[in-house]
Amino acid sequence: MGDLVEQLVHGLTLGSLYAMVATGLALMFGVVRLVNFAHGEFYMLGGYAFWYAYRVLGLPYPVAGVAAAAATALFGLAYERTVIRTILARTWHVQLIATLATSITLTNLAIIVFGTQPKEVPTMLSSAIAEVGGVRLAWQRPLVLVVAVVVFAGLEWFVTRTKLGRAMRAMSQNREACAVVGVDVQRVALATFGLSAALAGAAAALVSPLFNIFPDVGALLTLKAFAAVIVGGFGYVKGAIAAAFLIGVAESLAAGYLSYAYKDAIAFVVMVAVLLVRPQGLFGRRIGI
Amino acid sequence: MALFETRGLTKRFLGVTAVDAVDLSIEAGELVSLIGPNGSGKTTLFHCVTGYLAPDGGRVLFHGRDVTGVAAHRIARLGVGRTFQVVSVFPRLSALENLLTFLQQHQEESVLARLVRAPRVRRYEAAAVERAMTLLDSVGLAARADAPAGSLSYGQRKLLAFAAALMPDPELVLLDEPAAAVDPTMINQMKEQIRALHRQGKTVLLVEHNMDVVMDISQRVIVLDHGQKIAEGPPEVVRRDPKVIEAYFGR
Amino acid sequence: MRALRWSLGGAFLVAVPWIVAAVAPGQQRYILHVLIFTALYGALALSYDLVVGHVGSLSLAHPAFFGIGAYTAALLATEARWPFAAALPAGIAAAGLVALVVGVPMFRLTEHSFAMGTLGFALVAQIVATNWVEFTRGPLCVTGIPKPELGSLRIATLPAFYWMGLTAVGLVGLLYHGLTTARLGRAFHAVRDNETLASAASIHPLKYRMLAFVIGGAVAGGVGTLFVSYVGVLCPTELAVSLSVNLLVMLFLGGVGSLRGVLVGAVAFTALPEILRMAPTWRMVIYGLLLLLIVIRAPDGLEGVIRRGSAAWRRPSSSGP
Repeated sequence: MGDLVEQLVHGLTLGSLYAMVATGLALMFGVVRLVNFAHGEFYMLGGYAFWYAYRVLGLPYPVAGVAAAAATALFGLAYERTVIRTILARTWHVQLIATLATSITLTNLAIIVFGTQPKEVPTMLSSAIAEVGGVRLAWQRPLVLVVAVVVFAGLEWFVTRTKLGRAMRAMSQNREACAVVGVDVQRVALATFGLSAALAGAAAALVSPLFNIFPDVGALLTLKAFAAVIVGGFGYVKGAIAAAFLIGVAESLAAGYLSYAYKDAIAFVVMVAVLLVRPQGLFGRRIGI
Repeated sequence: MALFETRGLTKRFLGVTAVDAVDLSIEAGELVSLIGPNGSGKTTLFHCVTGYLAPDGGRVLFHGRDVTGVAAHRIARLGVGRTFQVVSVFPRLSALENLLTFLQQHQEESVLARLVRAPRVRRYEAAAVERAMTLLDSVGLAARADAPAGSLSYGQRKLLAFAAALMPDPELVLLDEPAAAVDPTMINQMKEQIRALHRQGKTVLLVEHNMDVVMDISQRVIVLDHGQKIAEGPPEVVRRDPKVIEAYFGR
Repeated sequence: MRALRWSLGGAFLVAVPWIVAAVAPGQQRYILHVLIFTALYGALALSYDLVVGHVGSLSLAHPAFFGIGAYTAALLATEARWPFAAALPAGIAAAGLVALVVGVPMFRLTEHSFAMGTLGFALVAQIVATNWVEFTRGPLCVTGIPKPELGSLRIATLPAFYWMGLTAVGLVGLLYHGLTTARLGRAFHAVRDNETLASAASIHPLKYRMLAFVIGGAVAGGVGTLFVSYVGVLCPTELAVSLSVNLLVMLFLGGVGSLRGVLVGAVAFTALPEILRMAPTWRMVIYGLLLLLIVIRAPDGLEGVIRRGSAAWRRPSSSGP
């Protein structure tokens, strides 16, 4: 029984990670109709930024975490300004290949700059093990879940209560109408990328203490986040979050009870299974984020 | 037995009933127009009967055979040709190749035979080219046979799409707004083309907004409003029907 | 006239080992090695272009089919002592069969989902190859794959492998040409450029997408078989997703959808880094940037540049094709 609880907590941790990364992906698709194959690299860069702030500069954990999110956000803005601007009007083939190319470039640059050895960033909470009713888990895990929930609540507030957030939601529902009404479409697109990147960077700061950072951590992550976005119903953020937790828990249970080696295949299996039965995703085709 | 029938055809989208239990019956050789205000379900009906949308209720019959929900490419193969509301061609292929593409499935060779270019295949190719050039000539595009379809003007593409739909010699021809966005000077030519189809014995069903065209060439007019059939009959009768007048003007 | 050019060109290509021996004797091993890889990559790129360039499906599953063909042949040759003449068709068939099985659910997905689905499949294939150690030896690799023997003919020298590669790319080129021209080609292109209209033209979109996908996958499996028979060793790293990126670079650099373009791309991709002697990671950085630049600025690749250039040179009088 304790074993099952551990697996579930692990699954929720994974789910939180996937959800934060998937949210960014869903936002980008919802608001500007673009699939960013380099999204996992936001997480990777965020992880290295966090490592640098926490281990190299020695900043306190919360400060390092915020710094990592901010640095990733900046990168997201730069990425939108350079690569994304030029491919927004092109076909999805071009967008796919361009972002895939970016992913490969960033991954290999990371190998050159940081080397292939994973960076470990243990924090107090990742090393401190709690024992609750026969269940042993690092304090970092509940922290991840709590912060994720806070972040999602914050996001909901942002999208419903702030001008920028409402503009994002409006754009995801009807882009042409927004341009007509005077919404600064360019600015909203830029902000969306910054926000998505920040989410990935924050996720990295939360989860890296548990999983380490290495250059090609992004590849599998992009796939799983994408699986969550598809299963949740393209562009529907809440759906993506729910699907991400589903995938995280499924993966953890599969790793614990079926086979650790093939755990990474679970997200793919879930995605294909859902798509075959319900091609519009678990929650159907929604309009808007 | 009618050539083409729908019985209680229904299609819904997100709570809106776009096509509401529509009964149509078209005899072979008829020239019928389908009219109605914007959003009355005409193009949706076209998509349902040509296999692009699966109906939510009712049946579609072609030659008495139930073809409800059959895939688009199979319906086309049964002898149904259509054009699209938004002009649709293969932009990267030449005008000639566009037409040749429509003659795909009407010769039954295997993929292998086509691969090795068996002599039979080459003979078919030659006959196909001849037929294509004749059709291009009839719409005045013979001179542009080798031009990429994407480089043609809107009107020329519309004519190309029309010619392409006729390439496999379909029994039933469905035209979606053939007069839309066509130069007024060309409308007479277009009317003539449709009348020519009629004379050849083809069955023509067209969706159209241009009332002059509809009244001028149709044998029979069917009126849809909010997905329902509200009137049917000869053009002069339908145009005076109070229900039809209200549908168009009484809002 | 064309036949003469083809024969001369063909004769030249066949004579390359002797030409190289005469012109640069000390470099012969190295040059032939590069050319063998170029030929195999060329064949692989052509098979990929069938799917991406001609039917317009952005599949990222090709590394998996290459790997399935490679592993099938490698294991049959080493474990069951199958001769090359049997292992090659087995590799082709295995890859084609998997493509058939995987293609059906995959093509129910559209656009991005299809790309992601195929990417996921490729990742899973690599995971399986790496972890199913009892079967594939995992990271320890399959070693000792024997050189091909066709009856009394033994392909063991570099020139022999070169001619094998040349034959492969020649045959694949012929297949590619037959599939992408005339009516078959029109059907593929119709599905690629306007699927809705293709249906109205009685063309079954799924049938043609599957045809390209399965043939492309089967050929990739065949190339995988030839690859392992040359290299003698097979590791799961050969199925890496980066192979898709490499293939995309070849296609887009040279000219997607064009026989000449794809082959030019394969030559440029394989020969260039050898000439430049780049380290593998820097190579991938350059390729990534190159692909990014090309797909944005010149999606027609070198082929497009050449065609636009020669169109500008040609005089305005046009006299039919």
